[in-house]
Amino acid sequence: MPDRRSPSYLGKIALIAWREFRHTALTKGFIFGAVAMPILGFGVIAVIPAMLSQKSPPLVGTIVVADPSGKILPRAKTILETPRTKMEKAEEFATHPPTDTSGRFDAMSEIVNEDLQQIEVVWRSDDSPNAIETIKSELANGAILAGASITAETLDPALDATSFGLYIPSSLSPKHVRQISRALQKAVEDERIARSGLDRAMLARLSNQPDPATTRVSPAGIEAKERTELRLLVPGAFMFLLWICVFTSANYLLTTTIEEKSNKVMEVLLAAASPMQLLAGKIVGYSMVSAVMLVMYGGLGIAGLSVASMMDLVPLSHLVYLVLYFVMAYFMVSSMMAAVGSAVSDLREAQSLVTPVMLVLIVPIMLWMPIIENPNGTLATVASFVPPAIPFVMILRVTASTDQIPLWQTLLSIVWGFGCAFGMLWIAARIFRVGVLMQGKPPTPRELVRWAFVR
Amino acid sequence: MSVALQPSVHSSSSSRHAAVSIDGVFKRFGNVHAVKDISLEIPERSLCGFLGPNGAGKSTAIRMIMSIITPDAGTVEVLGSSALKMKDRIGYLPEERGLYRKMKVGEFIGYMARLKGVHASGLARRIDDWLERLALPGVAKRRCEELSKGQQQKIQLLSAIIHAPDLLILDEPFSGLDPINGRLVIDLIRSEQARGATIIFSTHQMHTAEALCDKVVLINKGEKLLDATLAELRAQHDDRGLVCEPRSNAQAFADEVIRRRVASAARVHDNGTVDLDLATGSTTESAMRGVLEIAPMRSVALRRMNLDDIFVQLVSASDGSANRTTNQGASIDA
Repeated sequence: MPDRRSPSYLGKIALIAWREFRHTALTKGFIFGAVAMPILGFGVIAVIPAMLSQKSPPLVGTIVVADPSGKILPRAKTILETPRTKMEKAEEFATHPPTDTSGRFDAMSEIVNEDLQQIEVVWRSDDSPNAIETIKSELANGAILAGASITAETLDPALDATSFGLYIPSSLSPKHVRQISRALQKAVEDERIARSGLDRAMLARLSNQPDPATTRVSPAGIEAKERTELRLLVPGAFMFLLWICVFTSANYLLTTTIEEKSNKVMEVLLAAASPMQLLAGKIVGYSMVSAVMLVMYGGLGIAGLSVASMMDLVPLSHLVYLVLYFVMAYFMVSSMMAAVGSAVSDLREAQSLVTPVMLVLIVPIMLWMPIIENPNGTLATVASFVPPAIPFVMILRVTASTDQIPLWQTLLSIVWGFGCAFGMLWIAARIFRVGVLMQGKPPTPRELVRWAFVR
Repeated sequence: MSVALQPSVHSSSSSRHAAVSIDGVFKRFGNVHAVKDISLEIPERSLCGFLGPNGAGKSTAIRMIMSIITPDAGTVEVLGSSALKMKDRIGYLPEERGLYRKMKVGEFIGYMARLKGVHASGLARRIDDWLERLALPGVAKRRCEELSKGQQQKIQLLSAIIHAPDLLILDEPFSGLDPINGRLVIDLIRSEQARGATIIFSTHQMHTAEALCDKVVLINKGEKLLDATLAELRAQHDDRGLVCEPRSNAQAFADEVIRRRVASAARVHDNGTVDLDLATGSTTESAMRGVLEIAPMRSVALRRMNLDDIFVQLVSASDGSANRTTNQGASIDA
């Protein structure tokens, strides 16, 4: 005779919840998809700079410059051998981005890394009339690294010469070609500016477009620095985080409920637990799954912001709201999914009932831009009280608004939202207890209403 | 309802407390009356068979006993209370088998046991012992989906009895089992009864029910046709006959039996046996003596209607197509 003590009502719920959690969140698929992938993604982002910091191949050899003025060689030599700052590299990338993928990758690599490349270039001038032929012949027998022909027209500021001759061997890497080209281009530019009598530094200052230092001033006189990224990305990130975590776990709830019905394991379970215990256990179990996802994705996001020293974008109050609205959203969405899952016998049948649920859940995504454009506008205010959009709209508003959302709206949305969530849970429970034992054709919406409200 | 043989509603053997008591229960699904006014009592520690054709309402009755569905009218009392409160004292094998396909066998049984209140300590050992007993050693670590259908059925049966229930309800426990596993399940049911459990099972296998049950309940079209112990049933359906196997010339033997008025009717079968209906006033003892005087016999036995015949007879009568006579002459092993 086994040691048998009837578990309490809550004890059974805990057992069911743990099984659901364990067989969803502690599976290879979930750990790989929901836990390992974000960590890997984050790891790759962290590792890429290290990968990019690999030392570039050395630039060694002789560069011949055919330049009657004799000015380009010393300028190009200095430019090539002088390390650039990250800012200079970034500016150059912004103004003259490489056209090929490999070039862009190299340029980005150069921006994030210090110049560790070994450069041992011997510069040689060749003013002879047949310099180009000499360069070509020396390239052919591998005696030189590259050769350039800079004519007087190229250097004349009054003319609009658009090219100069550059000769390279077939084996020279694209990166080395870009390095030599850039040194020569810059030398030509510098020589032209010098010849025109202008000050290069002055030119840079004159052409610099100043950025606006925007400050938002609220009707209450509160000033806030305008941060475009704050107004666009952060609210979207919060809402999508909420949406993905809630929808993924609610979808697990839907599919496992259908699976239990189609596997006929439901009746076995109902012989051991009541429908309410089963539903409660499932909802609690998948709330833990959802919470794991929220912590993983949210934690990685915060870690990313922390690494980038951008934590000021996410104040603590936003995280508190995130948790509150997450709980509200989870109960709303999981209630709908549990009701649908219990009412149908297979996934194909579920499609017709899930579609309206999905349409409702897509609404906050469609309202994302209008709401963050005007977080205290009529649309945002009204949508804040329409279930099941409440938590998604409110998280957009509280994270997007530079103005304070009226306190009564925040409080009312929380009270009303949780009221709606528990109302939906009650309806789902009524449908669930009838639906789990139903087989055959899926119910009509009218039948669902009858299950929910008629004994 | 017009039924030729209508035994008493309640068994007279229910001197013990009733493990299950059903009173005036009705259940309707849409326009279909699944159960109509069923009342019965199943005594504690008894082994009761629910018999009936497909769609008779057996599973609906069982589900109402389990409180998985609620009756439209009437009351169901299980172990002195509602099944909802007694879930942990009941073991249940539903008609439609269900397992978590991806779950490991040991985990599944353990989960069901824990839900039924079995303490975790020593549970794994208990599961292993039971698996060994059910000729399934070493499957605890395998996924349920990796097992054969018969093995899965035994796993489900095990999950229904792992918590040593006081009431065991088995809906078609023998379907899909080969004879060896069928015998294993029969032994298991007997041992559970010996442990003190009350057992209700539904089946189509009349010979199994006849071999196992203390009592049978026959349901057809939602109505109870029969509710009696096997002893009562045999007494009520004693059709006063003998089955004889003469050593030679069965037809000559049959003629002689009629001529000497040992039997009122004799039917000769192709296999050489002769069915005798005893004449009015003759006893089985006098008839047997008379038969042995007529010719040397290989065997002489009392003819008994078996459960199969009673089932067919009652269901046919209930369905209004009385084909009793066609069954009357069937060969019966005593």
